[in-house]
Amino acid sequence: MSDLATSALSVPPSSVVLVSGGSRGLGLAIVTDLLESGVKVAAFARTVTSELAKLAEAQPDRCHVGSVDVTDLAAAQAFVRAAEERLGPIDGLVNNAAVGQDSLHVHTATGDIARIIETNLTAPLQLTRLIVRRMLGQGLRGRIVNITSICAQRGFPGLVAYSATKGGMDAATRSLARELGGRVLVNAVAPGFFASEMSAVLGQTQLDQIVRRTPTGHLTEPEEVVPVVRMLLREQTNINGQVIVVDGAASI
Amino acid sequence: MKELSRAQIRDLMAQVLKNQGKVLPADDAADLREVGFRSLDFSELALRVEDETGEELNFDAPGLRRIATVGDVLDFLVELQRQ
Repeated sequence: MSDLATSALSVPPSSVVLVSGGSRGLGLAIVTDLLESGVKVAAFARTVTSELAKLAEAQPDRCHVGSVDVTDLAAAQAFVRAAEERLGPIDGLVNNAAVGQDSLHVHTATGDIARIIETNLTAPLQLTRLIVRRMLGQGLRGRIVNITSICAQRGFPGLVAYSATKGGMDAATRSLARELGGRVLVNAVAPGFFASEMSAVLGQTQLDQIVRRTPTGHLTEPEEVVPVVRMLLREQTNINGQVIVVDGAASI
Repeated sequence: MKELSRAQIRDLMAQVLKNQGKVLPADDAADLREVGFRSLDFSELALRVEDETGEELNFDAPGLRRIATVGDVLDFLVELQRQ
């Protein structure tokens, strides 16, 4: 069969978007922004924070939230079914849920390495499979945005396994864009470090150093990433298979 | 396990094409390239068959290389359901 699946038909803006890890930080900012833009949002996280619960209570017909561990595929499946019953077919996905790391590789327990890979790489690949199967099965076109990290492209101590998973998602982004033949636009957004990400390994000294080397003179804020995610989900751009770095040129 | 007949799969294939403004020819020997039925259309059709039967159909990409006609698609999916 021909794999020249490019189609002249464009992918419409996503109208119902699933956001994993939507309860705090960047995920919560994405959920808030999409709701303000008129998009219906289904969001899950291991723990539904009061901020996320409030959004859902305020707009029950436009926002569906639930407590799901992204590594629990059956729970994710049940959540997606319930969300689609309330909001309609999901035509957008933001793979945002991830666990961080704050330990040198040689001192990271092997079980923790496995957990980081399962949460940050295996789980989003499985969630993507689930959502794309539903999109294709219903003849829908859609969009996927993977939230990765500058760690996928540049090295940082204390983030070895984490970086590996983010690099994996950047790579999957490119292959998915190819495989889905323009029916689903797949891109990644790779933020630089957030001020909130200060850790034992990446301490104030390291963050100060990153700021000094950043032409824009400040660490990235979630509010500076959100418009890029929204653009990829909503605007007509023909951007596909790309990783967009949002870090003030710190890595350039 | 519920299994779809060749004719039922043919109906689903016609729907997949119709959604794109294309028509499924009556002739099983029709070339997929001429029909405009591409690999992702095959995925969509397989998922529709899954929806009807409730059974997941997984297969490796090389198996699709020998598929060139409408009849090949129908044969492949009939056979896949039995595996």
